[in-house]
Amino acid sequence: MDLNTRKRELVNEFSPMLRTSGPLLKIWISLLLVIILMGLTAFVLQFMKGHKITGMRDNVVWGIYIINFIFFVGLSYSGAFISGVLHFFKTPWKNSISRIVEIMTVLSLVVGPIFILLCIGRLDRLHYLFIYPRIQSPITWDIIAIMTDLIGCFIYLYLTFIPDLAILRDYSDEETPNWRKKLYKFLAIGYQDTPNQHKRLHKIISIMSTMIIAMAIVAYTVLAWIFSLTPQPGWNSTIFAPYFIIAGLYSGVAVIIISMYLIRKYFSLEKYIRKIHFVGAGIVLLVISLLFGYFTFTEYFSRWFSHNTGNDHLLETLFTKYFWEFILANYIGVLIPIFILFIKKLRTIKMITFAAVIAVLGLWLNRYLIVIPTLETPFLPIQDTRPEFIHYTATWIEWSLSFAGIAAFFLFFTLIIKFIPIIPMSGIIDGDKMQAKNIKKGKNIKLK
Amino acid sequence: MKSYLFKHTLITFFIAVLSFSFPSIAQENDLNNYKMQFSFNTVKQHDNSRLLEVSFIGKHKKNKRDILPVYDAEIKFFNRINEDEVLIGTSKTSKEGVAQLTFAADHSFLIENAGKINLIARFEGTEGMDAQEEELSVKDLNLELKLEEIDSVKTVQVFAFTKDSLGNKIPATETDVKISIGSMLSKMTLKEGTIEDGTFEFEFPKGFRGDVNGDIVVYSIIEDHEDFGNVTQMETINWGIPNKQSKEKANTLWSLAAPTWMYIVLTIMLVGVWANYVYTIFNLIKLKKEGDALDIEPL
Repeated sequence: MDLNTRKRELVNEFSPMLRTSGPLLKIWISLLLVIILMGLTAFVLQFMKGHKITGMRDNVVWGIYIINFIFFVGLSYSGAFISGVLHFFKTPWKNSISRIVEIMTVLSLVVGPIFILLCIGRLDRLHYLFIYPRIQSPITWDIIAIMTDLIGCFIYLYLTFIPDLAILRDYSDEETPNWRKKLYKFLAIGYQDTPNQHKRLHKIISIMSTMIIAMAIVAYTVLAWIFSLTPQPGWNSTIFAPYFIIAGLYSGVAVIIISMYLIRKYFSLEKYIRKIHFVGAGIVLLVISLLFGYFTFTEYFSRWFSHNTGNDHLLETLFTKYFWEFILANYIGVLIPIFILFIKKLRTIKMITFAAVIAVLGLWLNRYLIVIPTLETPFLPIQDTRPEFIHYTATWIEWSLSFAGIAAFFLFFTLIIKFIPIIPMSGIIDGDKMQAKNIKKGKNIKLK
Repeated sequence: MKSYLFKHTLITFFIAVLSFSFPSIAQENDLNNYKMQFSFNTVKQHDNSRLLEVSFIGKHKKNKRDILPVYDAEIKFFNRINEDEVLIGTSKTSKEGVAQLTFAADHSFLIENAGKINLIARFEGTEGMDAQEEELSVKDLNLELKLEEIDSVKTVQVFAFTKDSLGNKIPATETDVKISIGSMLSKMTLKEGTIEDGTFEFEFPKGFRGDVNGDIVVYSIIEDHEDFGNVTQMETINWGIPNKQSKEKANTLWSLAAPTWMYIVLTIMLVGVWANYVYTIFNLIKLKKEGDALDIEPL
C-alpha cells in the first residue's frame, strides 16, 4: 500500500477518537473537574488556615501527601525506565504501549511534586529553596533531580510526538478544527519524515531514552536517600534505594496494565492492545512482584533480627495498630498478584488487570507504612502530649487534595489522548515498513 | 471438735515445714551439684608491689559452663615461716568470687632460709560450705626492664635476679620470659625467650603504632614459674608511630560548605544531562530548518 494512503487511513481511523466526545467522556471529565475543584477548595482552606486542618502534627510531620508524592514520582521514574528500555526493543508490540508509558511518565512527574508543595507549612517561603539552597541537603538534590528529570521527560515525550504531529498536520481532514491544525503545524516543526530527518530524530530519541533510564535510577535513588540517610527506624536502610526502584517499577507496570485495560475498553482498541500485551506485561509484573516481595521480606526481617529497640518498637506498632494495613500491603498486595500471574490459566486480561489493581493498592499502603508508623514511633518517648499529636489520621482536606491529584492525572491523560492518538501512528508505519522489509528478505532467501 | 482442730493444726504445720524447708533443701541440692574450686595466686607487679589473689568459684559437675562465684566469703592470708603462721590480712570475695590483697614494695615478708616466701590463703568455712586452703611458695625475684637504643638499634633488655640474705644479687637462670606490648584489648606478645645468667635481650621490631604521642607500653612477664610465680615489669617508651586520632568529619547538613567532591560529581552529572538537552534542542532546530527548506505543501 502507498505510504500516503496508509497515513491517511490511519488518520481516518484515529480521528474520531480525537474529535468526538461522547456523553460518557463528558461525564468523566465533569466528574474529574468536580474532584479537582473540591481539591482546590481544600487547598485554599489549607493555605489560609495552615496545616492545623490536616492530620499532620509535630511528630507526624509527613502525611499522605508525601506518600502520594513518592507514589507518583515512582510511577514517573518507572515509566521513564520502561519507556527507555522499550525504545531499544525492536518488536512491533512495543508500539501499542509506548505512548501510554510516555504520557504516564510525564503526567505523574507533573502531579507528584505538587504533593510535596502541599507538605510545606509555609508555602510563602517556597522561593527560599531556590534563594538559599544547601547542596548538602537531599531535598535540594531532589529539587534539582525532579526539575531536570521533568524537563528531560517533556523533551522525550515531545520528540516521540513529532512524527505523529507531522502526520496529523499533513493528513487531517476538513472536519479538523483550524486551531488543531495550526497547533499540529507549530509543534511538528517542519518534520517531513525525510531519511535525513528520520535518522536525526531517532538518533536524539535514542540518546534521550538512554539518558532517562539513568536519570530515573539516579533521581529515585535520591528520593530514597531522603529517608534512608536519616537514622529513623524503618528508614535507615542500605537497600532503600534499590527497594524504591523495584517498588516504583512494580507500581509503574501495574498502572500501565490498568491504563491499557481502560483505554482498550473505552476506545475499542482490541486490534492494537491485544492479549499478548497483557500477558507480557503480566509476566514482567510477576518478576517485579517477586523481587519486591523479596526486598520487603529482607527489609522487615533484618529489622526484626537486629533487636534494635527502635526497630522493635516500630515492628510492634506495625503488628498491632497497623496489623491489617501490614497484611494488605505486604501479604495480599504481593502474594495475590504473584498467585494470579504465576498460574497460566489465570492469565486472562481481566485477571491480570485485577492483579495490577491489587498491586497498586498494596504498594500505596506499603508507602503509607514506610512513612507514618516510623514518624509515630520516634526514638525519644513522647510524654505529656495529646494523642492526636502522636497518632496520624488524614483529614478530609488531605483526602480531597489526594483525589484531586489523581483526578488531575486522569484529566490530563484524557486531554492528551484527545489531542494525539494513544497508539503512535508513526510506530504502526514503521512496523509496516519492517514487516515489508522482512517479507522482501524472505523472498530473496526463497529465490536463492 | 478436738480431732478437727488437730487435723487442721497438723496440715498447717506440714505446709509450714514444706514452705520453709523446700528452699533450703533446693539450695543444698544445688550446692551438691557444684564442685568448689579455690585457687591462690601471687603476682609481683611492675611497681614491685605484690598482689595476693584468690579465686573462689563453684563449677557444676555436669555442665562445665555453669560457674557460680562465691560472693562475700572472708579469705584470710597468712605468711608462714616454719610452723608459725602470721595473719597478714583479710579480704572478702567480690561478686566475681575474687579476693585480692596488695602489699606495697616496701612490705617485708617473712622469708625462709631457702629464700622462699610461704603464703597461705584460707577460707574457714560455714555451715553450708567446707573450709578451703591453699599454700604457695615463691622467691622474691627482682625484674628490671631496660629499653634503650644501642648503636641505633632499639633494644629491649631484661634483668632478673634474687638477693641473698646479705643483699648480694644472684642472677636468675633458665627462666622463661615473654615480652609484650599493650594494645587496645589485651597484651600482644612480641617475643618469648629464656633468661640466662640474669639477662635477656632482643631487638624491638619497627612499625608499631603507639598512642597519639607514639608511646608504647612494653611488658616483661614471667608466668607460673615454679620458683618465682608471676612477675611482671613494664616501661613506657616513645618507639611507636604516633596514632593521630582521625579528625571528625566536618560535613553535615548544617555545615557551611558541601564537600568538594559533591560539587564536582553533581556538576559533572548536571552538565552532562543539560548538555544533552541543548544538543537535542540544537538538533530540533536543524530539523525545523531542513523541513522549512523542503517547503512541502500539506496533502
